[in-house]
Amino acid sequence: MPPSVRWIEPEGQSTRAERSLVLMGAWTVHQLHEVPRVTLPDKPAKPHTIFLQSEMTAFDSSAALVLARWLSQWRAAGLTVDVSALSLRERDLLALLDARLVDDTPLPVRARSPVARLGQAVVAQWTEAQQFLAFLGELVWRGGPLLLFFWRIRWRAVIAEIDAAGVRALGIVGLLSFMIGMVMAYQGGATLASYGANVLIVNLVGIITLRELGPLLAAIIVAGRTGSSYTAQLGTMRITEEIDALRALGLPPFELLVFPKVIALVIALPLLSMFADVMGLLGGAVVANYGYGVSFSVYFERIPQVVNLTTLWLGLIKTPVFAIVIALIGCMQGLRVRGSAAEVGHATTISVVQAIFMVIVIDAVFSVLYNLMGY
Amino acid sequence: MPLNMNLGDNLNPSPTSEDWIIEVSGLVNQFGANRVHDGLDFKLARGRVCALVGGSGTGKTVLLHTLIMLRQANAGSLKLFGIETNDASEQTRQSLRERIGVLFQGGALFTSLTVLENVLLPIKEHGQFDPHWLKDLGMSKILLAGLPADSAHKYPMELSGGMVKRAALARALALDPELLVLDEPTSGLDPIGAAAFDDLIRTLSNTLGLTVLQATHDLDSIWRGVDEVAFLGRKKMLAVGTAMALAQREEPELQAYFRGARSQAFWLAAKADPVPIHSRDRPSASNLRTS
Repeated sequence: MPPSVRWIEPEGQSTRAERSLVLMGAWTVHQLHEVPRVTLPDKPAKPHTIFLQSEMTAFDSSAALVLARWLSQWRAAGLTVDVSALSLRERDLLALLDARLVDDTPLPVRARSPVARLGQAVVAQWTEAQQFLAFLGELVWRGGPLLLFFWRIRWRAVIAEIDAAGVRALGIVGLLSFMIGMVMAYQGGATLASYGANVLIVNLVGIITLRELGPLLAAIIVAGRTGSSYTAQLGTMRITEEIDALRALGLPPFELLVFPKVIALVIALPLLSMFADVMGLLGGAVVANYGYGVSFSVYFERIPQVVNLTTLWLGLIKTPVFAIVIALIGCMQGLRVRGSAAEVGHATTISVVQAIFMVIVIDAVFSVLYNLMGY
Repeated sequence: MPLNMNLGDNLNPSPTSEDWIIEVSGLVNQFGANRVHDGLDFKLARGRVCALVGGSGTGKTVLLHTLIMLRQANAGSLKLFGIETNDASEQTRQSLRERIGVLFQGGALFTSLTVLENVLLPIKEHGQFDPHWLKDLGMSKILLAGLPADSAHKYPMELSGGMVKRAALARALALDPELLVLDEPTSGLDPIGAAAFDDLIRTLSNTLGLTVLQATHDLDSIWRGVDEVAFLGRKKMLAVGTAMALAQREEPELQAYFRGARSQAFWLAAKADPVPIHSRDRPSASNLRTS
């Protein structure tokens, strides 16, 4: 039976200013879908004392809260409430909850204006940029000496990271580069063929792949694949206090965890880029051969003529910079995780987005620099 | 009827045959070739506060997980509130779970929710409580568990270890469970905090009519805070009774546990003054003002 209340009118023409309120039904957390409304009788008959009577079939602490709240409201309105008709257990429960009522004034919610939120976002981004610079500084400050005493670098960890970030990424990097090479040859070839300049496909694919797409593609895949795993790994280690444990054991986490990752990516990413270059050129060659009548032998003969070693270097020089940025962002976001499991997921997302963003920004900066330098 | 209405008038009633909250018989739990429980029998009566003790690795947590139906036993029968769980439908098992409040060893608060949201989660999911009263209800559980009101809007990572336990208790109490299962509730608390937690459990048990089963290593709780102690050993429930009674048994495991080095002071004190402390300062009956 759902919970309800009923007033008992005083018998006859009572002069006593009192009423009885009977509580009926099952007063439990499962039954109180809607708390019954109690309207106190109007002025003339306004009771000075309310007798509470119970016909309840069940009464739990949630219902006791409702009653306790009513009682305090009635008392505040100058009424007297008599609970002596309730059972001992009901009174105990009521007393337990009554002693623990809080002001039901809602906590102030900090409403923030759009301007304030914009300001906060700007400050947050600015702090993040500062933190990245500080982290970069730490890399130079601590990593520089390590490079001089290179035997102190944890080469075992470096090799493991190269395997995870480089060797295991060969398949996906190769496949994607091959397909991008094909796509480029198709799109460029259609236009070039209309001028009868089919053979220039080699220039198109060769230059774009070596200077831009190979390194960029490899960097983006590594950012998504490896940068995210760095963040997740370090973030989880923070939550399980492993990082603190390392510090307490006198093992600097930077030397043990961050530096090997940076070194590994600086070695692996240029190699991956070179592999991406080769696969991209191969993809272009397949389309040129079967789609536009530029045979394999012509294609590969022309490559050394249209792209020189400088072109290759212009592409590859960018990759260690990409690698440092990807590894640092991944590690920094991981080390910044505080507390909760949801934070790890959040940090991983931020890490991937930031790393890819930074890779493209740096690529653009390099293009401008090359242009100014006349390459 | 979800709650026994007469409990308030008789705080520790001698149980009738229908009033067993937990009835386990012939329980077997096995991991690979390793048998943790082999034919374990155990009964817990309504309104009792029981400590589950035993050395490390005797399967206390496994037993608790079996009792709250997180783990299916390899053999044996488990009756909760008089209902056999093994051949019950998933729906019945779910409704039984709703009648049990659980406090996990590490608190297991949801880290992405505030304390108040943690407490309100089961109420919103399972209860159909008046939405206007929800926040008030959540706050009352938080205060009931002995947390200050301003902790309601904190996240678990901002709480100390003792506060995490209390917040987890508030969540366990959310749906007014009839059975409260606690896995090492006072481990990691300072002695004063642990004693306060014991008192809290005792008060709640008396007032809300809760039945409490707690796995514990806390000698203070075992000797002073509970009605009975269930001792796990030899893959069975070796003995059930007051700590005093168990200390006087012959089995070497019980002798070692209850009269060994660390327990000895409690044993001697209890021998000198056999009245359990909690029955002396039991929370007074109604002190509700009537004026």
